[in-house]
Amino acid sequence: MKAINRAGWTLFWILVAAIAIFLIAPTLISIPISFTETPSIQFPPVGFSLKWYRAILDSEDWRDATINSLVVATLTAVVSVVLGTLASVSLSRLEFRGKAVIFGILLTPLVTPVIVLSIGTYMVFSRWGISNSLIGLVIAHTSLATPFVIVSTSASLKMMNRNLELAGAGLGASAIRVFYRVTLPLILPGMVSGAIFAFITSWDEVVIATFLTDPETRTVPVLIWGQVRAELNPTMAAVSSILIVVSACGLLLSYKLRRQELR
Amino acid sequence: MKSITLRKLRLETRSWVLLAPAIAFLAVFFLYPLLYVLSASFPQHSLVLYERLFTTPVYLRVVATTFRSALIVTVICLLLAYPYAYAMTRGGKVIAAGLSVALLLPFWVSLLLRTFSWLILLQDTGLVNALFLKAGITTEPLRLIRNQIGVTIGMTHILLPYAVLPIYAAMRKIDGRLLEAAAICGSGGLRAFFKIYFPLSLPGVLAAGLLTFTLALGFYITPALLGGAHDTMIGQLIAAQVTEQLNFNFAAVLCAVLLAATAITFGIAGIAVAFWRHSTAKRMAAQ
Repeated sequence: MKAINRAGWTLFWILVAAIAIFLIAPTLISIPISFTETPSIQFPPVGFSLKWYRAILDSEDWRDATINSLVVATLTAVVSVVLGTLASVSLSRLEFRGKAVIFGILLTPLVTPVIVLSIGTYMVFSRWGISNSLIGLVIAHTSLATPFVIVSTSASLKMMNRNLELAGAGLGASAIRVFYRVTLPLILPGMVSGAIFAFITSWDEVVIATFLTDPETRTVPVLIWGQVRAELNPTMAAVSSILIVVSACGLLLSYKLRRQELR
Repeated sequence: MKSITLRKLRLETRSWVLLAPAIAFLAVFFLYPLLYVLSASFPQHSLVLYERLFTTPVYLRVVATTFRSALIVTVICLLLAYPYAYAMTRGGKVIAAGLSVALLLPFWVSLLLRTFSWLILLQDTGLVNALFLKAGITTEPLRLIRNQIGVTIGMTHILLPYAVLPIYAAMRKIDGRLLEAAAICGSGGLRAFFKIYFPLSLPGVLAAGLLTFTLALGFYITPALLGGAHDTMIGQLIAAQVTEQLNFNFAAVLCAVLLAATAITFGIAGIAVAFWRHSTAKRMAAQ
């Protein structure tokens, strides 16, 4: 009986390790491939070369797309942090029937099929004359990103000690002053990790971006999407590696913030 | 006394004002486009396009494929997510941290790039086929992309974190002392697991299945890159109607069907949860 039990647990941990490898390996595979000397994608890579990275740095297409992506992702992060923080501060102070419903409605963009939202914004924004513009893309991405900010700032607000706000008000500070001097510093980690998540959401988003951009305003994912469909070459692996490092930094940063908040 | 009530009232009004920008933004830039799509699906208030969808075998096959793919992926995700979440709750500090990094890092890397990675791994000359050939498992490359296998692998990889997190959240809430109590009463191991642990974790499984299934229904990038012509999902059909056929109204019909499917799935889950609570409450009352 004990032997069977032991064998069962060994099998269980092997299965879990296999799932972990399944999750992580494909994410990292493009990093070694990006250093290959061969003109085609090869694993294991042959030799060591940085020429695919140079190709990206020298390309105007990639440079323009990177600038567009940075602008859109930064603005998305700023707008969604403002909207999301105000909303969750408000919800944390109000008690009313149907509060859960309002909360749910604010989070619906998370479960709405992105392709449907893409078609909708494409149709509407074309009529309004803001399709193919960076502003239009920022607006559409903000809809997607705001729920993440609401979730992360709400978590911070839940952990915050409400008496600190009351103490501030009791000592004579106005509501606005209490917000800036007490509430804001306390929920800052939640806001920053919401901002990071909003940034990454926009930075990685491809479906809406393909519909709302033209060759002038296209972002990095749109360029990748076009190239992956045309041909596979190591440039894509290099682009992919750079983006993975960016994402890993984002993850690390938000993890550190959470830890700091818990302390 | 009066002034406190008044101040509270003022604070409440102020709080509502803070909520307004987000609500207004989502109403104009999120809800309105969705309603616009729905209205575009009824040109001249007629159902003629819906009739076309439900009487054309090609389109019906796409709808069926979408549901089939989503269901297969959901089942596989749940089967993999359950032991993974269990390991995260049961493993030591180091193991739990390692497992959550393995879970969250892919979560942060774009869906497009991960699909691209699978394209590299699964193509005829890819790493997976090379390993199989070397190990002598196969004598010629297996076809792992441009078919259901590729779509299933790619989508499972992307959706697995969404399946693990709700199950993990439910498992963490389970009081370990219940299992100890069961062991003291002479019911340890697998029996205690199936009698106590598993039923308590089921709400998490339901939430995970719901999330995975609804997200899977709307997939577009992954089936487009890893699937073949036979694996076309609704999302791809919508994109093709807009970019290739320029048929916005028919795309809108497909969008409406996708939205309806998502809403109905949530509705069913809501009813299931309500029924569950009701029956649990009844059982507790009976005891």
